Amino acid sequence: MTAAAAPLLEVDGIETFYGSIQALRGVSLQVREGEIVTLIGANGAGKSTTLRSINGLNHPRRGSITFEGQDITETPAHDVVKLGIAQSPEGRRLFPRMTVLENLEMGAFQRSDRAGMQEDIDRVFALFPRLAERKSQKAGTLSGGEQQMCAIGRALMARPRLLMLDEPSMGLAPIFVDRIFETIVEVNKQGTSILLVEQNALMALQVASRGYVLETGTVALTDDAAQLAQNEDVRKAYLGES
Amino acid sequence: MASALVLLLLFWLAKNAQVEGFAYFMNIALIGVTLGAVYALVALGYTLVYGILELINFAHGDVFMMGGMISATMIISVFNLGAHNSTFSVVAAVAVSLLVAMAGCGLLNATIERIAYRPLRHAPRLAPLITAIGMSFVLEDIAILWKHPSYVQTPSVLPHGNVFSISGVTYTWEKLIVVLITIPVLLALVWLVQRTRQGKAMRATAQDREAAAMMGINVNRTISFTFALAGALAGAGGLLYALYFNEIRYDTGYKLGLIAFTAAVLGGIGNLPGAVLGALVIGFIQAFNEGLTWHSPGSDWTESIVFSILILILVFRPSGLLGEQTPEGG
Ligand SMILES: Nc1ncnc2c1ncn2[C@@H]1O[C@H](COP(=O)(O)OP(=O)(O)OP(=O)(O)O)[C@@H](O)[C@H]1O
Ligand SMILES: [Mg+2]
Repeated sequence: MTAAAAPLLEVDGIETFYGSIQALRGVSLQVREGEIVTLIGANGAGKSTTLRSINGLNHPRRGSITFEGQDITETPAHDVVKLGIAQSPEGRRLFPRMTVLENLEMGAFQRSDRAGMQEDIDRVFALFPRLAERKSQKAGTLSGGEQQMCAIGRALMARPRLLMLDEPSMGLAPIFVDRIFETIVEVNKQGTSILLVEQNALMALQVASRGYVLETGTVALTDDAAQLAQNEDVRKAYLGES
Repeated sequence: MASALVLLLLFWLAKNAQVEGFAYFMNIALIGVTLGAVYALVALGYTLVYGILELINFAHGDVFMMGGMISATMIISVFNLGAHNSTFSVVAAVAVSLLVAMAGCGLLNATIERIAYRPLRHAPRLAPLITAIGMSFVLEDIAILWKHPSYVQTPSVLPHGNVFSISGVTYTWEKLIVVLITIPVLLALVWLVQRTRQGKAMRATAQDREAAAMMGINVNRTISFTFALAGALAGAGGLLYALYFNEIRYDTGYKLGLIAFTAAVLGGIGNLPGAVLGALVIGFIQAFNEGLTWHSPGSDWTESIVFSILILILVFRPSGLLGEQTPEGG
């Protein structure tokens, strides 16, 4: 690894609040070009808040966020996506009264290349054939798993440089979980860096190169994914070993 | 219970048609369509804004009234229209007045959002509701200062001749013109919401504001645009009102606004076709109530009837005829 290469995303000591409630107490993390980085931690640790800080929905009060060398700490959400960060958010947040196809098109809202859009729709349908079958169905009537696929597909439609996924395996049957993780690896191979928040720490650590463990708003631990998977505290807390 | 009421209503209509004769009944129905067209333009503004912010813009009826005042000024002071004008100059003057009223009210409504609602975006829901009522008073006071509390009379420049008159059913030009102006405005709205990028942004913002921002949509600008659009529709309604009813006063919008709001709820708040349907239904109800004679309560009762309908919908069918479409609801 070249030490000189600046990370794609650099989060430095951010503190983010909901009103007067402090959710993040100085979180720092990095994603380098081409990496899959996972963020794990207990419920309420601040994983989603970290993603919301990066994508501009909740600006941190202190600390900084830099993407491709550009300070995006205060950049509004609708400009962050234009810079190349897209997200499949917690709870999927599809547009319920739009069809699957319209949702995918919304993902490419800030792009103007029609041809490239069609190409990407085909790519999403190739990743998730199920979505192709359901493309004219209203997103609000999809099953939970189908909605998850649609949310990931929608984020991909932005052609992001960094894809952030908040619990993509949530509520999915094991066979779909496997499919989602295969997709994550596939998308990463095609050149997209990924920041992955997961409850399913075991699988996340298998596909990631590095990981961060969040605890009550701070990074408690960070290491190579393989090391974390061996770490005893991590195994006890997140991999269901006693 | 609800279906019993509907049956009773249908019986009353049928009995009236029999007592009055079919031609008279149809003439009243045509008045209903005309009223419905004006209500639709105003109801759409309530529904557009509610659909995107879940806010009842109580000042909306007054924006409509300002549209009427702007139109009156254009017709009287700018173009000095009267019976002496040629058809061409009337058409041109009405077209220009329409554009000015729409632009003026669009700007006005977007400004109201900017100063009275946006600063309270994250406040409890009651706060913007109260500033909305406050804005309503402010607009009425501005109208009083500008035009005095008495009625502003506008000359009746629309032709009153018959478009057709078939076995007693007559349709006059002034009624047709109201509909002829309303329809292209509605079609333009449908095109805008369904087909354009701005419309897509509106629909997305209405369904999930944060998700819309994540797609690269400037949510604030989209909300401003929605208010401008709602205001423009109200401006068109104001012009039609001034042309058709020929008098308008500072409190005209308050009353008409509440009726149009009821129409929006009746159709299903947030639902655009619903607002038009609700407006037509209310227009018919008002026309029938005021025009039919067999056991009809008469014009003194119109508002009581409209608000009884509002209560009945809220009790029996809160999501309205065509279903509500809000950020939270389906
Ligand atoms: N809208 C909000 N208002 C107030 N507090 C919030 C809000 N959203 C999150 N929090 C608080 O911030 C902290 C971090 O929440 P966050 O959603 O980031 O956790 P998480 O790690 O994603 O948890 P989970 O695994 O349950 O999704 C929690 O204590 C939570 O209660
Ligand atoms: Mg979370």
